[in-house]
Amino acid sequence: MLGNQNSLNKHEPGNFRKRLDVLVWLVMFAFALLVLRLWYLQVISGETLRQRSENNRIRVQEIKPLRGLILDAKGRILVDNQPSFDVSIVPEATKDIRKVLRKLVELSVHSDTDNYQKAAFLKTDRPFVPVTLERNIGRDKLAIVETNSLNLPGVIIDIVPVRKYIYGPVMAHILGYVGEVSNSELEKESYSQYKSGDIVGKYGIERYLDEYLRGKSGGEQVEVNVDGRKLKILGKVDPVPGYNIVLTIDADLQKISRDAFTGKEGVVAVMNPQDGSILAMVSKPSFDPNLFNRGISEDNWTKLSSDPLSPMQNRAISGQYPPGSTYKLIVAAAALEEGLITKDKTFSCDGTFKMGNRTFRCWKKRGHGVVDLHRAIVESCDVYFYNLGDLLGVDKLAEYSRKFGLGSKTGVILPSERGGLVPTKEWKVRRLKEPWQKGETTSVSIGQGFLLVTPLQLLNAYSTIANGGSLYKPRIVKEIKTATGQMIKEFLPEKKAVLPLSGDNIDILRKALWGVVNEDHGTGRALRRAERDVSGKTGTAQVIRMPDDDEDVSKEKVAYKFKDHALFVCFAPYDSPEIAVVVIVEHGGHGGSVAAPVARKIVDWYFQNKKGEAGIDGALG
Amino acid sequence: MKIDRRLFVNFDWVLPTLVLSICCIGLMNLYSVGYNLPDTTSTPSYVRQAYWIFIGLVMMLVVLSVDYHFIVRYAYVLYAASVLLLFVVLLHGKVAQGSQRWLMLWGFSFQPSELIKLTVIIVLARFFGDKNVTQEWGLKNLAAPLFILLLPSLLIVIQPDLGTTLFLGILFFSIIILFRIKRRLIKCFAVSGVILIPLGWFFIQDYQRKRILTFLNPEMDPLGSGYHIIQSMIAIGSGGLLGKGYLKGTQSQLKFLPEQQTDFVFSVFAEEWGFLGVLILIFLFLALILWGFKIARRSRDMSGMLIAYGVTVYIFWGIFINIGMVLGILPVVGIPLPFLSYGGSSMVVLMMGVGLLMNVSMRRFVFQP
Repeated sequence: MLGNQNSLNKHEPGNFRKRLDVLVWLVMFAFALLVLRLWYLQVISGETLRQRSENNRIRVQEIKPLRGLILDAKGRILVDNQPSFDVSIVPEATKDIRKVLRKLVELSVHSDTDNYQKAAFLKTDRPFVPVTLERNIGRDKLAIVETNSLNLPGVIIDIVPVRKYIYGPVMAHILGYVGEVSNSELEKESYSQYKSGDIVGKYGIERYLDEYLRGKSGGEQVEVNVDGRKLKILGKVDPVPGYNIVLTIDADLQKISRDAFTGKEGVVAVMNPQDGSILAMVSKPSFDPNLFNRGISEDNWTKLSSDPLSPMQNRAISGQYPPGSTYKLIVAAAALEEGLITKDKTFSCDGTFKMGNRTFRCWKKRGHGVVDLHRAIVESCDVYFYNLGDLLGVDKLAEYSRKFGLGSKTGVILPSERGGLVPTKEWKVRRLKEPWQKGETTSVSIGQGFLLVTPLQLLNAYSTIANGGSLYKPRIVKEIKTATGQMIKEFLPEKKAVLPLSGDNIDILRKALWGVVNEDHGTGRALRRAERDVSGKTGTAQVIRMPDDDEDVSKEKVAYKFKDHALFVCFAPYDSPEIAVVVIVEHGGHGGSVAAPVARKIVDWYFQNKKGEAGIDGALG
Repeated sequence: MKIDRRLFVNFDWVLPTLVLSICCIGLMNLYSVGYNLPDTTSTPSYVRQAYWIFIGLVMMLVVLSVDYHFIVRYAYVLYAASVLLLFVVLLHGKVAQGSQRWLMLWGFSFQPSELIKLTVIIVLARFFGDKNVTQEWGLKNLAAPLFILLLPSLLIVIQPDLGTTLFLGILFFSIIILFRIKRRLIKCFAVSGVILIPLGWFFIQDYQRKRILTFLNPEMDPLGSGYHIIQSMIAIGSGGLLGKGYLKGTQSQLKFLPEQQTDFVFSVFAEEWGFLGVLILIFLFLALILWGFKIARRSRDMSGMLIAYGVTVYIFWGIFINIGMVLGILPVVGIPLPFLSYGGSSMVVLMMGVGLLMNVSMRRFVFQP
């Protein structure tokens, strides 16, 4: 042992062999641990981890479908898809982003706001992902970018399809508009198949028939690397374009109806009374649905949403008006059918009608004298109908109103339709906790008071009389077809009910309506055409109830928003009518002088145009 | 110098064969790692690694041709030189990824912290080589070796390179457990460990804290600090029994796997070759380590035994810590996998270590005059 301490390297390392042996076992144990762990990862969890590695590398990228088109009854395109051009830059494809940005500003393609910030921003860790600089540039700017493409490395043009509403504000309320699905919509059950970023119909047909229009997304299965860069396409499913929707609307008639209405607010709607097809539906004021493409600007949105005339409301189905004298048709129908009067029944009109302690006036101060039913309708004698209202009572009036389709939604395929209001005694007690007053029936009998109708309901009610008693469900969509023309769904005319009116009674009413237009004292003389084929009824609806005795209030003094609404409903020709028209001019004044001329232009155009078409057909034949 | 014939008779062929086999696997694997990288003008890493292997082999020959007793005699000089290099690195070293580890030499970058691992082994062999085997070691007579450990550790920890510092510590303790240490000192180490670990928590960098937390639960932050280890486990596991095939590992080829050339090189191999391929690699590693132990066991003297043992545990810990890390059973520390990870310093120093092993092995029958 002494020698051990003397010089270097004289030890026998044998003493350590035991320890080394233990350490060898420890090393073997450590390796065994690694192998066990490897066995666990590779053999036991191998399949799940392989799945995770597949999930890592395979992404499914959505390919958005083209939205379906909307066409008019004659196959003209009303809503199309048009390319919108975005200028984007691929950061990795250019060496000097700032220089390219400057060049774009020079060419006035890109607005120079935060150029330098943007240059820094563009240095992303995914430099192959294009960054959008300008959205929706015009074709002039597009041309500039294309001709300068050599000086603009990395700049690309993205083409995004957007909706093009060819007729702009003319059909805004029917067609509606689209926008990105909102967060509040996404929370709703009915939007469960939509996801953030999807384009969805927000109004009109676009919204009501969105499920048909939207189409089905396709997908591309791509292999990506860790940065998300596409490496290769593994599989592809093409998107299915949305279905095309054919409306019953006639684009020309729609345009004419709107032109005839220039300078006015309110509603024009045209229907084929034989099957309930809506040929035109104009609501004014209107808006341009193209504004909503790619997101409406805040300015435009505030302008639209804060306008007191609410241009985004479709007055034809959501506007509720007192029908005024146009309601007299229904009152007369009820009284005849209930056997309370015959067509020869007369009442004497001296210009006033007393009910309880209230005095109601006829619009004609001097009164009509002794009038029968026919004259009462032709000259729109209020006192005659006050008497009929008294005979019938409000509940009978309500019963017949409902038979004509008032008081409930017509069921037309458009969103936010309203049902109007047909009052009954029970309704008033329930809603206002007050008993019905007899005088209120008097108001209702000339279409005032609580009574409210939508223009479409009114048009449909008149169509029923026009076609001899069939109540149709108003139809605005004719059919839904695939892009290749295969029928998906056909909307046939739908007869909801047949009026419980005898043919004789209907005839009496139709004759009276003819008289309104074609007899010398008729209130609708503005529509008397050479053919003498139009029948109709005027209406003047009070917006607020004027003090009964205040005669000093002259019409000019009344503020605009308290002015009467002018109404006119008509159909033509007398035998087997082809069109029915409703015109409501808000705060327009008298129906006969303001609304009827609008209807005349439409009727005139319709028959003129029909002749033209017949001529062409004849030539072809 | 007279060349002894027995040096050739006892030349250790097993060791270089094992090492070169592992190096070949490493080169093949690095080729796969670079296979789908964008074509850069610089030399691909597997070619550069081949250069390093060649340089390593030359250094190995240099090291084995000099009698290890001679090397041990000048241990303190070597140690002083290595420590000096660590100083130089702190003053003039190249900064990369937030730490100053590299020294530029003739256009090559070199990590002195790799070299110090080897010189610490040699200097400990020198120190313990002439001490009484049976004596008990207390704090007093361990003061010198502790100083030998702590001086370079300090220089490395301020680079900062916590991984290498820890590695040096582990290496040191692996060597002194061969000796009989007083119970009191063991208790002392244990107590100071208990105190230092929570204390250390405040001294380590934020990212290191995160690494430790994510080691405990990698899914805690799957896209942040847990990302590496999760992707590594996915890569290894998805290899399954037979692997996805050479050059076909999706995790590595699509670069979901981070640090593929260095720390996570094993994951690439495991993904492409599967459990069976990995078993072969592990077997080669184990054979290498056991062969190292065999050399230590039959070395003729104390310093030879300590050198052989030291180099062997040095290689062992590299393998165990790296693979343990990529398998998710150890926290992420930047320790490369011996002979497989890309890196010149590590490769050359490893080869020099192998040279030392062979040196001891072939001189086990040579008696000193």
